[in-house]
Amino acid sequence: MLLLDAIFIGLLEASPLILAAMGFTLIYYLNGFMNIAYAETITFGAYFAILFNVVLGLHFYMAIVPSMLLSGALSVAVYLAIFRPALNRGVGPTEMIILSVGVSFMLRYGLILVVGPENLFLNEPNITYMQFAGLGATNLQLVALVLVFITAGILYWMIYNTGLGEQMRGLANNHELAMASGINPHLTSVAIWFIAGCAGGLSGVFSGVFAQVTPYMGWNVILITMLVTIVAGIGSVRGAVIAAIVAGILTSFITLVSEPLYSEVALLLAFIGVLTYRGARAA
Amino acid sequence: MKLEASNLTKAYHEHEVVNIESVAFGSKGLEGLIGPNGAGKSTLMGLLTRRIAPTSGTISLDVGDGVHKLNPLKSHEVARIGLIKTNQRIQGFDSLTIRDSLRLAVTPPKSEGLMSIFAGERDSEDIEEKVSHYIEAFPFTDRNGYARSGGEKKLVDILRCLIAEPKLLLMDEPTAGLPDDITRTVMDMVREKVADGKMRVVVVEHDLPLIWEYCDYVHFLSEGSILFEGAPEEVKSNRVVAEKYMGV
Amino acid sequence: MDYLIFSFSLMLVYIGLAQLLHIQFGLAGIPNFGVVGFWGIGLYGTGVLYVEYDVPLLVAILLASAISAAVAYVLALLILQRSGQAILAATLALAAVVATLVVTEKQLTGGVQGLGTISFPFPGVDGRNAIFLGFILAVVVGLIWVSARLRDSRLGRQLIAIRDNEELAASLGKDTAATKRMTFAVTCGLMGLLGGLSAPLNQFLVPYLLAPSLTFAVWIALVLGGKAHNLGAMIGVFATFGLFDILVETYAPVPPDYALMVPNFKLFCYGVLLVLIIMFRPKGLLGEDGPRTRTNPVAAPTGETVKEG
Repeated sequence: MLLLDAIFIGLLEASPLILAAMGFTLIYYLNGFMNIAYAETITFGAYFAILFNVVLGLHFYMAIVPSMLLSGALSVAVYLAIFRPALNRGVGPTEMIILSVGVSFMLRYGLILVVGPENLFLNEPNITYMQFAGLGATNLQLVALVLVFITAGILYWMIYNTGLGEQMRGLANNHELAMASGINPHLTSVAIWFIAGCAGGLSGVFSGVFAQVTPYMGWNVILITMLVTIVAGIGSVRGAVIAAIVAGILTSFITLVSEPLYSEVALLLAFIGVLTYRGARAA
Repeated sequence: MKLEASNLTKAYHEHEVVNIESVAFGSKGLEGLIGPNGAGKSTLMGLLTRRIAPTSGTISLDVGDGVHKLNPLKSHEVARIGLIKTNQRIQGFDSLTIRDSLRLAVTPPKSEGLMSIFAGERDSEDIEEKVSHYIEAFPFTDRNGYARSGGEKKLVDILRCLIAEPKLLLMDEPTAGLPDDITRTVMDMVREKVADGKMRVVVVEHDLPLIWEYCDYVHFLSEGSILFEGAPEEVKSNRVVAEKYMGV
Repeated sequence: MDYLIFSFSLMLVYIGLAQLLHIQFGLAGIPNFGVVGFWGIGLYGTGVLYVEYDVPLLVAILLASAISAAVAYVLALLILQRSGQAILAATLALAAVVATLVVTEKQLTGGVQGLGTISFPFPGVDGRNAIFLGFILAVVVGLIWVSARLRDSRLGRQLIAIRDNEELAASLGKDTAATKRMTFAVTCGLMGLLGGLSAPLNQFLVPYLLAPSLTFAVWIALVLGGKAHNLGAMIGVFATFGLFDILVETYAPVPPDYALMVPNFKLFCYGVLLVLIIMFRPKGLLGEDGPRTRTNPVAAPTGETVKEG
């Protein structure tokens, strides 16, 4: 029973993480660096939702799509203004990560300077608590779960079954060959950054509505997202989904049997363990 | 001196690149290893120095102080026993000058510990002399600076291995990318060291005249296996070698 | 005055950390994103030993540094031979573990309530904070001296070789894994030492001190000044911490209404600076360090003669 609870709660809690991990992995796979500034794509998604939902008074469900699209646009803008020029200059992977930390600081503290550091709340739709077979969840959580799985499914399908996915894999594996075979690297990259941004934004909207909207919310999940991505292996979107789900279930299981904070410690140590194990096997 | 491999195989994705029942290097002075492109020469060199993990088989090295099994060892441990390989493709330390690169190679790892931070002088006169000896034998563009061209980098790579004074040196295509006169200077140095009994050498080469001129013994590798071994004259006149390699 | 002494002491700590990061990343190529974790082990280790177990301050600082070095050694055993991105994530994770454990282990650390009070050594002497500033200065100057010596030493040369091409260094008989492990453990231990020295500066320890922004501040300083130059780290700290935390916070006429926004503005500027530097001056303000080796060759060898072919 405990296990079932853990799986269920884990899935609910992991739903924003799954989206974030998929988007983060896409960029990691395409451009070969870990984009810490992806945290801000998540945060901005939630703040865009605040704009539509609280400032403009739209219904929460109506605010989801425009927030998501704006996050995608932000992601593309950052890519075109900063990351693409840097990649073209041949900045190495570690320096790219440091650069993304800089971008992350710029966006996060720029946001704080504009809207202030206070925590904000989205106007949630009417919440009813539902229960079946001993498991309980709110209607909002269930909607989120369903939406996340639909989006994740679409993303997954796009990556593994469409031309765009094929082009992305071509670009990531062999840039010259892909260009020679007629793939437009510019267009494909922009499309991938847009999709990744949308996934991050959506993740932010749901994280925001489950709890609160803060300038640090993206930063708080980016570490776990990074770890999930690395454990999944370089740029495996399939692996990222599985690792995110496992991480979610593991977190909720440990939270159920001990203190919530210990789950974070256990997760981080598990990550270091996985890395060590994989390295030992590869040697 | 004997570097021995038995039942050595290496497969990539089920495709066998090397499959050698038994081979021994290092007992004949200056040896050559020849074979057509894709015969597995470089893979074999990598396997012998533990840069590449074999699929199966054992490798052992005897430098006169008992037999070392190389399989469980790491690359640096193999080097410390006295087996070093020059690189086919250009490898180097971009931030080290030519001199520093050679000083690094000749400095024993024991004296590179934390205490070396407080050492009064970094390199002993003895080391400086050795380094100068090698550098001044060649026309580097800037003897006190960095290796400029691909050829200079390749030469530095070979000199690093020579100055480290291994007991057995594997040279993977030393002539590729080097001008003829430099190659000859290098090979003459090598021959002299072998003649003095300071080291044994195995040269992997496509430049057959060089092999016939310098080597005392030649191994012929084709399709991952040793097909023939013998003195240069025997190899030159062997029918299998002629068919498989020299296109006769 | 007390505030200025505090600021300068803290700036010295930052300079020390940046110098150590220069050794780890600039020389050895290890991307340590867990600086605050090792510093934090030193900080809280010292605090816990001093407050809970009545260990004398200086002994507590040394013990805590040793713990930090030991943790770094174990982590190095586990992950130092993995890819740079994996090391980066693992060190970041370690720092998060340290920060979390400080919150959960309340009985030792005081959790979010905090841990205190850690006072300066030499009770009863006037200007203890100034004396302590001098002490930190001595430690940091020592660190810079050692770091400068290291660059020109045999060990430093091996570290540079490992950074450039680890496989090649190993093929020449260098035990690259062991060298990196030892370097990482010692430098992380010294980060712990700086953490220990920060304990009496802060007097009262709270988990907020272990926020990852410290790691990034040190990284920004290093990248800004130039990772490959051994004075770059120091210049970087002057240009970030010195400029914002000391000059702006102490002297800039900020209206009280906006005072709360100053730290946010500072971090925003750090971000912009970092982006500009990597985009337009990737080698940092000081750029690459030239070869500083003995250039005059030793007189021609006499023992052996060179044979010409």
